[in-house]
Amino acid sequence: MNLVQKAVGQGGKLAPLAIPKTFGGMNPSVFIDPDGDILVNVRVVNYILYHSENEQRFPSRWGPLAYLHPEKDQRLVTENYVVRLNSNLEITDCAKVEMLELHQPIWEFVGLEDARLVYWDDYYLIGVRRDTTNNGVGRMEKSKVSIDKDTWTIKEISRERIEVPSQSYCEKNWMPIVDKPFHFVKWHSPIEVMKAEGTMAQQVALKQGIQPEKDQRGGSQLIRWGSVYIAITHEVDLFKNYLQQKDGIYRHRLCVYDDDLNLVGISPESFSFLDGRIEFCVGAAEYEGDLLVSFGFQDNAAFVLRVPRSIVEDMIAEAL
Amino acid sequence: MSVLPQMTLESLVVDLSHDPFNPELNFQVAQAYDKEKQTASAVSFYLRTAEYGKDSHPSLVYVSLLKLAKCFEEQNDRLHTVSNCILQAVSYLPYRPEAYFWMARFHERQQNWQECYTWARMGGNQAINTPLPDDVDYHGTYCLMFERAVSAWWIGRKDESVSTFQRLLEMDIAPEYRQAVEDNLARII
Repeated sequence: MNLVQKAVGQGGKLAPLAIPKTFGGMNPSVFIDPDGDILVNVRVVNYILYHSENEQRFPSRWGPLAYLHPEKDQRLVTENYVVRLNSNLEITDCAKVEMLELHQPIWEFVGLEDARLVYWDDYYLIGVRRDTTNNGVGRMEKSKVSIDKDTWTIKEISRERIEVPSQSYCEKNWMPIVDKPFHFVKWHSPIEVMKAEGTMAQQVALKQGIQPEKDQRGGSQLIRWGSVYIAITHEVDLFKNYLQQKDGIYRHRLCVYDDDLNLVGISPESFSFLDGRIEFCVGAAEYEGDLLVSFGFQDNAAFVLRVPRSIVEDMIAEAL
Repeated sequence: MSVLPQMTLESLVVDLSHDPFNPELNFQVAQAYDKEKQTASAVSFYLRTAEYGKDSHPSLVYVSLLKLAKCFEEQNDRLHTVSNCILQAVSYLPYRPEAYFWMARFHERQQNWQECYTWARMGGNQAINTPLPDDVDYHGTYCLMFERAVSAWWIGRKDESVSTFQRLLEMDIAPEYRQAVEDNLARII
């Protein structure tokens, strides 16, 4: 049973997020701000993920899994929209984030990708950017944004690129810890906690904890849930068909952490939201006692799912 | 601000969550996104319709492949993908005329006149015209005749072009086609 069916069947709610005047949104990140507003950052891209599932009878010219950018523009461009939802999870306000023009992009992946929304000393969109070098080096970036709720305009007001102490090509999918400003969970095997108050990240903890069967990757924010932290992570099975064309399956798990961020539990079985082979959760928030999770479907559609508290409690119990 | 009709979409996706590989439910979700011009989202669900319905829902699969082509066409600058989707429809149900018409129209828009003419002629030989589950812009054989008439003029077959246009005027055709036939005849005679 997928999580949407389970949640809606027990009183939850599913909300498709369709950004007007775009081809569709993806990988949304839900967050409850200090005013209690339900905000969601929705990623909007200029490409389409073409993914033929099942027996792959109808692949694209470039295989069963391909990012189809415009044919005369090889860039994969991301823009971000922040929407506000009412309590029925309907969009009431929507605006594109006006980003600062700090440099000319010099790599094909353009923009801040898979940004998670948090509020620490201000609102931040935190994602990976790969357009500042000519070979696509990826680093997490913190974009501080102002949100004018009267006019519903969202503007980036400053940006910090987070460097890391060790050499690496691409840092991405760090999971912000909502109630620990500038702290992130970077890895799960073992848990690596990073602090990035300025432009250099420091490892502040390395936790052995329990070892997930499969490498767990970010993921939603880490949020407080009673006496524990929880987050939704994903795992990937990458494989190739007989033509050596790449394909993949993404599945998710609920992770449970103690106060010291030791991983103390993980869903024994991976789950799907809608039984799509590529789904991706980058947001979670507690709302009126229930859990809101936001996920992208095949990189082409965005949803927020309200999961009743009883289901979350069951999932935590199963994980522990 | 205008808010998209999320409720309809929501109920359709919830239905889908109970039976996620059902071609008909995937098609309904795709249509709902398509109607709102959310063509990236529609692509995913049309493609699932095709992949999971290939053995059980041939008409739905056929229409989905053509709708995929239309979604990519509306996103602009994806000609290889548009033509690939149409070609898949042709090869999936080769005895239906609609995808031949789409291929001819595709080449007409690219001004590939010989290709347009060839696809229009091939489509004219396909006999199966049973109704499809959704409109695919094909109103009958005269659509293929129109593509043939247009392209014939550009490949040195003026007489054939004129006579085909004149035959079209004698047929019961949609007003936009009649207007286009008259405009073309006025230019080439």
